[in-house]
Amino acid sequence: MTGSPGCGGPGQPPSQDQPATGEPPGDRTAPGTGEQPAGGPPPAGGDAGPGHGATTLTAASTGHGATTPLAASTGHGATSPAAARAGPVVTALAGLREPIVVILLLIAFFTWISGKSLDGMLMLVVAVSLAWDTGRRRTRRDGPPEGSPADNAPPDFSAAAGRDDAGSTGPTPHPDAPPASARRRRLLLLAWLAGGALYVVLVGSFSRYSWPATVPVAGLGAAVVVAGWRGPRHSRPAPARLPAIGLALWGLVLVAGCLWELSSLFEQPTLTTSSYAHPTISTLTDPVLSAWAGRSIFLAAWLGLGWFLVER
Amino acid sequence: MNSHDVTVLGYLVVLLAGVILELLATRTRAPIPPLGKVFAWAMGTRARRIGVLVAWAWVGLHFFAR
Repeated sequence: MTGSPGCGGPGQPPSQDQPATGEPPGDRTAPGTGEQPAGGPPPAGGDAGPGHGATTLTAASTGHGATTPLAASTGHGATSPAAARAGPVVTALAGLREPIVVILLLIAFFTWISGKSLDGMLMLVVAVSLAWDTGRRRTRRDGPPEGSPADNAPPDFSAAAGRDDAGSTGPTPHPDAPPASARRRRLLLLAWLAGGALYVVLVGSFSRYSWPATVPVAGLGAAVVVAGWRGPRHSRPAPARLPAIGLALWGLVLVAGCLWELSSLFEQPTLTTSSYAHPTISTLTDPVLSAWAGRSIFLAAWLGLGWFLVER
Repeated sequence: MNSHDVTVLGYLVVLLAGVILELLATRTRAPIPPLGKVFAWAMGTRARRIGVLVAWAWVGLHFFAR
């Protein structure tokens, strides 16, 4: 969409592809929250791109977020004087208004006190980074939130009309794609599957909590999180607004599971000593994960879930 | 039924609730989105996307990393 005529040059009215507010109605958040709805191609190598300037000017021309000439020419929203004065700590504190940051900090804390210092440290790093990133975008009072023009694309409500957004624009080759391209895609898929199988077998052969198991799992987890920071892998329409009641019910199930696990954790003799009477999920899965086959199956499911998420 | 059984039953109830929600979402016209669409929605902004991916990474670290 970046190169489409609908990107809107200076003085042009906002097109359907470029909402003037930078926030799609389907997933609207409070103004200035800096939320970045996905739904388009990830930025090529970063946030900047020639198309951003057009978006910025379009927003300015419609009165949504006045933009400085520098911002208009570079495509970035200019940092306000207040933001320029704000130090990294103040910026990170501003990001604490993001609920995800608070949840990550809580998980980091409970993970840390339960004896998993590496997990806790990684969670803390991500939480602080996300807080700083969110705070940085929130303190940019001028200009739209960062992100590719596609990130600001309005939701395609045709997805709500029955089209399954999970597979509508994914990696499935176009029916008219040349055979060589389809063959290359198949080879790539086979290579990924072979790599995944090798990963599962190899890492599953290592005993749990050993460094040989820790390094590949932590490395893959960090790589996926970093990749996710850059944006979605595929260009796809933003999902339509979901029913609030349905989301609340799913959230209720998630919270109930977390609270039940947490209550079991606190019922243990100590946070680092497992209890038969009040087993956590880790304790219940210990017998399965003590065997190579169990570890490999678990790793395969973990990899599959990760692939599923990355493809969203 | 001892406390071990009660604890395990609690996990099973949560799991069953998730299965029921998914069935309601896919087999009925109830205003409940399927889990796949919930994930797609959750991946729609950077903060939520990072939260979901970190949760996924945390699961792997929790069960395998020291």
